[in-house]
Amino acid sequence: MNKNLQYLLFGSIFGFVLSRVGASDYNLIFRMFTGEDLKLAYVIITAIITAGIGMAVLKRLGLKGRDGTPITISKKPLIIRKNILGGAIFGLGWAISGACPGTVLAQVGEGKLLGLVTMFGMILGTFFYAFMTERQEK
Amino acid sequence: MNVLHFLFVEPWPWWLGGIAIGLLVPLMYYFLNTALGVSTGYGNLVKLFLPHSKLKWLNTATYTKIFNWRFYFIAGMILGGFLSARFSGGALLTAEMGLFTQQVQWPFAGYAAWFLLGGVLLGFGSRVAGGCTSGHSIHGIANLHPSSILSTIFFLLFGTIGVAFIRMLLMGGVS
Repeated sequence: MNKNLQYLLFGSIFGFVLSRVGASDYNLIFRMFTGEDLKLAYVIITAIITAGIGMAVLKRLGLKGRDGTPITISKKPLIIRKNILGGAIFGLGWAISGACPGTVLAQVGEGKLLGLVTMFGMILGTFFYAFMTERQEK
Repeated sequence: MNVLHFLFVEPWPWWLGGIAIGLLVPLMYYFLNTALGVSTGYGNLVKLFLPHSKLKWLNTATYTKIFNWRFYFIAGMILGGFLSARFSGGALLTAEMGLFTQQVQWPFAGYAAWFLLGGVLLGFGSRVAGGCTSGHSIHGIANLHPSSILSTIFFLLFGTIGVAFIRMLLMGGVS
């Protein structure tokens, strides 16, 4: 299968599952943060454990892809100041919009107009980042 | 219970959603040698609007091609949300957003400004932190990466603080 089609398929599954499990539901995100309904916290924890087991299985099998090429695990660098600052800004955005970069895409597909607004905000925020890194370099 | 009804109409139980999302991480490595992650792809969307931008960050190797895998992955996620909503019924378009539009009585422009602000913080914050809930919290923690654990602690901490303030100041303490 064409690579781009495979990415489209994986993305579709991700968006579909996020929507089915309620991760794109404003109320479930809100109630996770108030502690009233921890369904999405359980989803995240289960996902982390499943992914961890899956990666351990891949390592057992020699960390090779389907076509036999070695798999390179992407590792994001630890930059304590940036992880904390970015994490805090992101957390506030998560609280305000009731969405994260993945679930907002599912919201757009579901036809939520305010989700579309959040998505445009994210594009704008990413642009601000590009703009500010440029200024910092000069 | 009918399996199709369970999968396509009813909301999924937490364990099914968690297992399905978790499996994406090893499967995307196995089939495509790619780390699960969403927020980096928003750079592609910026370039969609500004294809000729001279900003260096938008012309790094990650973004030399707008229609690379990240674009197709994002498009798929929108399609997935669309299919989910179509199968389970509901309005094609809605201006509502759960508790927020129920509890906070603002004109639509006010809602739009609020969610735009949330989006800007998400977009900017995920670039500073180097990832979002999928890349850091799921992919990164599953691989025990310290930067992902640290970022996720602050995602959750400030999400909790933010919602507590929203509830107190905008929703009069109710939920």
